[in-house]
Amino acid sequence: MTEKTTTDDLIATLAGDPAPAPKAAPEALLLRRLALGVAGTLVLFFALLGPRPDVLAALADPVVLAKTVLPFVLALLALPLALNAARPAAPRGWPAQAIWVLPMAALSLFMLAYATHAPADRLRLFVGHSIPVCMPAIVTLSLPVTAALISVLRRGAPLNPMACGAFAGLVAGGLATTVYSTFCTEDSPLFYSVWYSLGIALAAGVGAWAGRRWLTW
Amino acid sequence: MDPQMTTRDDLWSDLLRRALGGDGPCYARFLHEATPVIRKIVRARCTVEAEVEDIVQEVLLAVHAKRHTWRSDLPVSPWLYAIARYKAADAARRRRVAVPIEDVVETLEDEATGDVTAARDLARLLEGIDPRAAGIVRAVGVEGESAGEVGARLGMSEGAVRVAYHRAMTKLRQMAEAEDD
Repeated sequence: MTEKTTTDDLIATLAGDPAPAPKAAPEALLLRRLALGVAGTLVLFFALLGPRPDVLAALADPVVLAKTVLPFVLALLALPLALNAARPAAPRGWPAQAIWVLPMAALSLFMLAYATHAPADRLRLFVGHSIPVCMPAIVTLSLPVTAALISVLRRGAPLNPMACGAFAGLVAGGLATTVYSTFCTEDSPLFYSVWYSLGIALAAGVGAWAGRRWLTW
Repeated sequence: MDPQMTTRDDLWSDLLRRALGGDGPCYARFLHEATPVIRKIVRARCTVEAEVEDIVQEVLLAVHAKRHTWRSDLPVSPWLYAIARYKAADAARRRRVAVPIEDVVETLEDEATGDVTAARDLARLLEGIDPRAAGIVRAVGVEGESAGEVGARLGMSEGAVRVAYHRAMTKLRQMAEAEDD
């Protein structure tokens, strides 16, 4: 039995099963798993934190609204990046550039707030009163979504499992921060553009670790 | 991309598109045409000629397992080459750090010479995979039966036995690695 004929045998065997399972693509699972993940995040949120009493009134201020909307847009843009990263040689597409608008926006809001506050107020607003809640809360709230997305992406074939996982973590961190922002009363960009970003970065780091662990194939 | 490449990609894309729709002969032709290119990619990453064909088969298995990740509106060659490069690099790396199949067979031979620790180790690993696959590993690896004989006994084609044996060995290697970690 030569090597050549065994490879031919293998091909013959594989050719007996040409069509993949009808719902083999990661996207086929996406909505259901993502809904589960978000539900998990919401359950955690309402069990542990809950929205601030004045949430609707607060969101009327565009600067406050930004801390809810920006992470949500980040999640929306990171999702196709995660899915494309699970398909070999698929182009990343426009979200790869568009996503940079979000850190730029956060930086702009930070600089604007810096310029419009008296020097005495800057440090107070920057440090705030809830960093020890904010960081762990964002990471914790992101975990159900990260888990959901990793389970979906396992059906793909990421050539860079860490990057693929990091994008999943970015989606999860963005969604977690969107939810968390309705609890948090720190409304200055001097606080949220720094600490929320750091929380999301930590969530992306968790995703990268999970990707390395579960997305190699 | 030069024109010849484009035509070939069009043909391969067409073949794989039909294959994904359930056309076996088109799938066989696609895999046959892709194999020499895969072999070239593997050779560029693996200097041990004896291992090349094994890795080519691993790549083919990976292409098969992940064939749903090709987006049929994109050219197929970049997708195929990306999988081949990833798997070839991965396989070459694993072979450098992991237990080669020959070593597993050596531990099997230890059973006869009385070193029960290693043999028990392998017996335990074999319990972790499905019984049919474990049986194939025992028959081919321990008792030295040929794939054809085992296939005749189990009612499988010789190729199917090779695939099952190959998958089981990969699984065992991963389990052994996981324990070493």
